[in-house]
Amino acid sequence: MQEEKPPFFGTWNNVYMLVISVLVILIIGLYIFTKHFS
Amino acid sequence: MSTIDWLVLVVTILFIVLYGIWKSRGTKNIKGFLLADKKLPWYHVGLSVMATQASAITFLSGPGLAYSDGLRFVQFYFGLPLAMIVICITFIPIFKNLNVYTAYEYLEKRFDNKTRSFTAFLFLLQRGLSTGITIYAPAIVLSSILGFNIIYTTLFSGGIVILYTVYGGTKAVSHTQLLQMSIIFAGLFLAAYMVVHLLPSDIGFVEALHIAGKMNKLNAIDTHFDWNNRYNLWSGIIGGFFLQLSYFGTDQSQVGRYLTGKSIEQSRLGLVMNGLLKIPMQFLILLIGTLVFTFYQYHQPPVFFNHYEVDRIENSIYKNEFKKLESDFANAHNQKQQHVNELVSAVNSENKSAIEDAKVKLQKADQQTTNIRKEVTALMEKNDPDADTNDTNFIFLSFVTTYLPVGLVGMLIAIIFLASMGSTASGLNSLASTTVVDFYKRMINKHASEHNYLSASRWATVGWGLFCIVVALYAGKLGNLIEAVNILGSLFYGTILGIFCTAFYLKKVNGTAVFYAALIVECFIIYAWLTELTAFLWLNVIGCLLVMLLSFVLQKILPKNKAVH
Repeated sequence: MQEEKPPFFGTWNNVYMLVISVLVILIIGLYIFTKHFS
Repeated sequence: MSTIDWLVLVVTILFIVLYGIWKSRGTKNIKGFLLADKKLPWYHVGLSVMATQASAITFLSGPGLAYSDGLRFVQFYFGLPLAMIVICITFIPIFKNLNVYTAYEYLEKRFDNKTRSFTAFLFLLQRGLSTGITIYAPAIVLSSILGFNIIYTTLFSGGIVILYTVYGGTKAVSHTQLLQMSIIFAGLFLAAYMVVHLLPSDIGFVEALHIAGKMNKLNAIDTHFDWNNRYNLWSGIIGGFFLQLSYFGTDQSQVGRYLTGKSIEQSRLGLVMNGLLKIPMQFLILLIGTLVFTFYQYHQPPVFFNHYEVDRIENSIYKNEFKKLESDFANAHNQKQQHVNELVSAVNSENKSAIEDAKVKLQKADQQTTNIRKEVTALMEKNDPDADTNDTNFIFLSFVTTYLPVGLVGMLIAIIFLASMGSTASGLNSLASTTVVDFYKRMINKHASEHNYLSASRWATVGWGLFCIVVALYAGKLGNLIEAVNILGSLFYGTILGIFCTAFYLKKVNGTAVFYAALIVECFIIYAWLTELTAFLWLNVIGCLLVMLLSFVLQKILPKNKAVH
């Protein structure tokens, strides 16, 4: 069965990379947040 | 609550229930009832998935947990986006292409009857108990506001969900969840704004964060690895990944949501949406709890947030001792407030040594109030060994009903109800699906009409609804509900995920090997939990990997006529 393309970012792998990138950014952001206010 | 609050509450709930019933009219067959005819777009799927996970417990216990334990619970969700990716790649295409109603149908195609039945049984046990706890949360709210016995409020909050889930099935669940999540998001932002708005005029958002941070409440990331520490970066990413993979990949309450997508693409996009939004949403909920904590540095909090238990101790032989502790608590709070002011001055002047000095004094004063609270709970236990001494589920509720303006109280209470209704409805719908598709249709009535199966699905929903209400009546003994639900899930999810991972990735392993492996591992997981071998999130990892390893070994050593089905 041919795989349907996502409506943005061209391929599903690119979409998954976006999800991983957002996760990494969130973790780094929360780390800085924790350090700054403690 | 004021008349306006009641009006907001009743109109919101009534509107959602009637909307769900209206949108799901004309459900004539089991496909429509259990899978909404597989016609839903991605945003419906995404919001439905989020609403299923975000129960009333999320909005009641979440801020309460942050109030007492800080932000560290947010790490629990770090494995979720990764789990979404694995499900999009592996689980969705398999389930969609096989055209299954439940995840467990696939196990019969891949393994055998007994593995499918065993996995479905584990799911029913776990989900039945969890949904019971989900019903209990809004019952606390009603009981606290109205002063009614919690038995009646449990019956009411369970009954209203059974009504529209029985009538409309998955269509009603999905359509109501779309509205529910919209109202929930709006309410959350409003609640966060209001907490900051209610702080003294010279304390802004940043100062509030400094106060919470210096009192160790903004501990969002803990990089230190410890097997027995429930929430750190590593347990969140690794343990959380396995838990979320099992929950979203093998729990019918979630599988049933994304199977409603009109294509593989739409189902995947729904899960990607969940992967992107879940952590920010959970962070916001917990942040509200820490802001409420800062708020209570300037306003005298009750020594214990559960009014019901306070009333009991005030009417007992220990009332004088309790009054003395209340007075000590008020004095300790006043002293603490002075240190809070010192800290804010030090932060504003950017004097590092003064900040450190004020921080130490403040933490010491905070410890004093914590100790008094411990004495209060000890007194309650002395009065009644069965007293509910964990008040974290009541902290946010107490704040909302005491300090928020008219109208907003009704809206936030409505949010708690809507969240509960969304996840309870999904839970009941998935319990009914599994009961009918995995047991009734296979074992009791194999060649009945569509009408018969539709009727059986409705009766199964009623039956599970009543079971969950009975569980809810005992849920008060479980401590913090958000943790109780996740611990309960971790007892079964590892094994269930292990069965599915074996099915997907160990192609040479057959039914008998995986069945006995799962049986042995489930017993071990229960033993590991009872003996507190490790923090609960790791049980998901251990369960999954052990099932895969043991089934691989059993496949090698079992006689061939037993291993091959």
